[in-house]
Amino acid sequence: MNWEISDLKAKLKSQTEILGWVLNEENTHRFERYFMKDQKAFATDQDREVRAQTLDLRIFVDNGKPGRQGEITKRLHRGAPLDIQLSSAIAAAQQTDHQRWTLPTEIPSSLPERKSFDPSMVEDLKGTLDRVTEQVTAQAMKQRSTPFHSSELFLSVHERELHLSSGLTHRSKNTRAYLEAAFSFSDGKRADEYLSTTWSVDADGLGIEQLFDECSERAKLTLDTEKPLAGDYWVLLDSDVLTSIFSQTLPQLSGRMEYLSLPHKKKGDSFIPDARGDLLTIRLDPTLDYAAGTTTLSDEGLLQRPMDLVKNNQVVETSLDHQHASHLGRYATTSNGTWVIETGSKSRDELIASQDQVLEILQFSGLFVDLNTATFSSEIRLATLHDRKTGKKRTIKGGSMSGSLFENFKEAYLSNQAVKKMFVDYGSAHGYYGPDYALISQVSVAS
Amino acid sequence: MNRAQLSPDLQNLRASLPDLLGTLQANPDWYVSIYLEKKSGLNFSANLRQTQISDSFSTGVVLRVYDGYSLFEQASDQLDRASLQREAERLVKRVRDSKPDAAAQKRPYSAPTWQERLSMELDPEIRSQIPANVQAKTPVHFGIAFEKDPREISTETRIAHLKSLLSRAQELAPQAGLENGELSFVLVRDTVSTEESIFVDGESNLSQSLIRIARTVVLMSGSERSAERIGGMGGEEGIELTDAKLLSMLKELKGVKNALPLAPGRYPVILGPTLSGVLAHEAFGHSQEGDTCARGRSMAWDLFHSGEKVGNEHATILNNPAIYKNGEEKIAAWGSYFFDEEGWISQKQVLLDQGVLRSPMTNLTSALRLGVPRSANGKRESWAHGVYTRQTNTYFSAGTKTLDDLMAMMGDGYIALHPAGGMEDPKGMGIQVGIQFLEEVKNGKRTGRVFKGPSGGHLQMTGYVPDVLASIVDKSKIEADSKTPDAVEHPFNDAGGCGKYHKEIVHAGCGGPYMYMRDVLLG
Repeated sequence: MNWEISDLKAKLKSQTEILGWVLNEENTHRFERYFMKDQKAFATDQDREVRAQTLDLRIFVDNGKPGRQGEITKRLHRGAPLDIQLSSAIAAAQQTDHQRWTLPTEIPSSLPERKSFDPSMVEDLKGTLDRVTEQVTAQAMKQRSTPFHSSELFLSVHERELHLSSGLTHRSKNTRAYLEAAFSFSDGKRADEYLSTTWSVDADGLGIEQLFDECSERAKLTLDTEKPLAGDYWVLLDSDVLTSIFSQTLPQLSGRMEYLSLPHKKKGDSFIPDARGDLLTIRLDPTLDYAAGTTTLSDEGLLQRPMDLVKNNQVVETSLDHQHASHLGRYATTSNGTWVIETGSKSRDELIASQDQVLEILQFSGLFVDLNTATFSSEIRLATLHDRKTGKKRTIKGGSMSGSLFENFKEAYLSNQAVKKMFVDYGSAHGYYGPDYALISQVSVAS
Repeated sequence: MNRAQLSPDLQNLRASLPDLLGTLQANPDWYVSIYLEKKSGLNFSANLRQTQISDSFSTGVVLRVYDGYSLFEQASDQLDRASLQREAERLVKRVRDSKPDAAAQKRPYSAPTWQERLSMELDPEIRSQIPANVQAKTPVHFGIAFEKDPREISTETRIAHLKSLLSRAQELAPQAGLENGELSFVLVRDTVSTEESIFVDGESNLSQSLIRIARTVVLMSGSERSAERIGGMGGEEGIELTDAKLLSMLKELKGVKNALPLAPGRYPVILGPTLSGVLAHEAFGHSQEGDTCARGRSMAWDLFHSGEKVGNEHATILNNPAIYKNGEEKIAAWGSYFFDEEGWISQKQVLLDQGVLRSPMTNLTSALRLGVPRSANGKRESWAHGVYTRQTNTYFSAGTKTLDDLMAMMGDGYIALHPAGGMEDPKGMGIQVGIQFLEEVKNGKRTGRVFKGPSGGHLQMTGYVPDVLASIVDKSKIEADSKTPDAVEHPFNDAGGCGKYHKEIVHAGCGGPYMYMRDVLLG
């Protein structure tokens, strides 16, 4: 019963009700290994290989209403008859109601090459897996002052083909690598642990030795801790936290939010009202080498280019895909990319030395960020309280912190070193390239 | 009452699986099994701008070999016979080529027979679907019960209903004190999915068909939000949304718009059923996951052996994938099924008994590594993901008080009904429970005043788990508004999701009674 993409495209072209379509085919090849210490042995608990193919079709149909159209997104099944799947999709789409728009008719003539995948993973995924496994094994078995417990390693290659009713066909590749490690520390009566996780586009970007070293060292800090005193603090956030906060609040700079009357920022707005300190400059960049948001085309077939969104705290542009640009009567801009935040002027140590007390967050338990209110909160899993007057550092665990992008970043200072970060949330990859630290003000801590 | 039947295409595939077992059994010492999954769902939504549909589909097979050291899986969505045979041969080669660490301990496994399975305590919903004289090769099918099949409702009817709910929310808004235009965003979404699976090993041939149904409503005014998801496993009867419920949500939205920031500190709080469930899930749900224990990452394993108390007499937590009537609702709880993704049949399990830890939940490999009984907690995000020990429906046992009794006992304090995530800390025993907002209680009555976090966002309840579980003052009945004895068996479990180590998202129910707690740290 299998049918080919060419059969599907021919059917789509022949259906008069269909106004346009977007077809995404993705082939995934993934390896997963779960490692753990089993008494003296370095054991593989699970060893998996996955091959998957998905075919997602989005069609726009005439629903008989002036200025409106129907739409459906459907995952097609190659094992089922094509005609039945297509006719049911058209019938369902005709029941829906959207403002009418059309895909761009202009096809980009030449497309730049962008580094969105790790060539070694694409060429030999199993070989890369074995090479990285050796490195992970060596790090896990290395003699350290804290015991290793477990690790997970995932490597995957995603090959995509985009087909549009405008005639455009585009092939692209992505790679994803994930590594975690857990170390614990015990004084005979009590025990605690530290879990480090990292995502990367390329296997070498995992930074295996650094991840294991940092995880082990931080595990050692976990027992000699105290609770914070309740109050407002200058807080130093690292790039993992900044990635999470920015990637989950910057969608307020998108035209989709404006179209749906959801909280959003408009061109000309102050991004953070009454901001002082280091003013934010934010860019959406789809061209960075081996970054999570690196892509050539949007799903609508538009070439994606670097774009300034915020300059010195002023919103200069919003992110608009072609659909929402059409709805809002504007031109489309860039809608895919890595969030790039311009660095500041001070080093991490200078940021810490700039205030009497600085609470440096080493890890939150679970940072929850609310897109609509741009607020964030979490229990403090591990932190260091730096006291300039006494020169002492105390390790903190417990209590909770709550903050707001639009309040606590009013007076914020950014570090002068840029780092590239990636994290995957509910299957979507988010990218960040910006300061490795930010010092933010007046953050409430409960204890 | 109707029951979901296995799709004809899966019935055909099922016939070919025993042959594949033969290919996988290349070494008599290996334990081999096959898991096949098919999920198809429709998502209908309407907001003030548009109506839309997405139609999802996923099917795949997981071929499994456990060689006494590791579990090897080969997963693919190519389900024709030649592809399945090729994947089986690939897997056999991969296992043969593997070299376990010389110091690794071998832990052999053999599957339970039906005689052994039937000797366990099983829910009548399960037992009644197992044929008499069942044998290893007997196909055994479990179907979720339902009154009205949600898959038979036409797209036109469903979209019209969603649009009528949108209009109704707008019509009711003035009754909640919301002025014209204050309701800036309204979304109503229905999700209907069929989740089917087959599990085959040398001793069993199981299948199940589940219908998952949910209705989500989001009401917004500017950046403030009131949201609710109702649903479970069963029929359309599980997602009825009344005007009273819509009006209550609109009033909550009005309250949240006028919310005051709470000063960080310790307060008496009554947690509603969903939040008491999140507390159960994060406290001794995650830390009682066998794979976390086997990795040496949970203090619960040590405390289970020492018998040390980690909560007071009210601290009884259960995990139960066999809740086929959810509290007073008409359908099964969100995290329910008949068997897990490694073929283990669902059973109720006590994880914490009046402050004393019991044996953890397990998947296959963690049960073998820990040397404890298996439980039906082997779950995965989808066929394309790995299997872990995961929670199903996690909840505190019910108490004897009504909600009014608890509010009268508390006098002044807060009531928290809506969750905003949570996070576990199995080794360090910390806990984080997110709360969207609090309602004030004075002299045992709600005042209508609403409080949010110190920065205007969600609140976080944090603490050291044994301290938190020692601070439970009392718990409500399941039917918390009635003084008569509970007529239903299981507490209500809300529809939620759960991640493992920040990824691997699965469906999970969490619930329980109302719980009055003292000295709750909020910030």
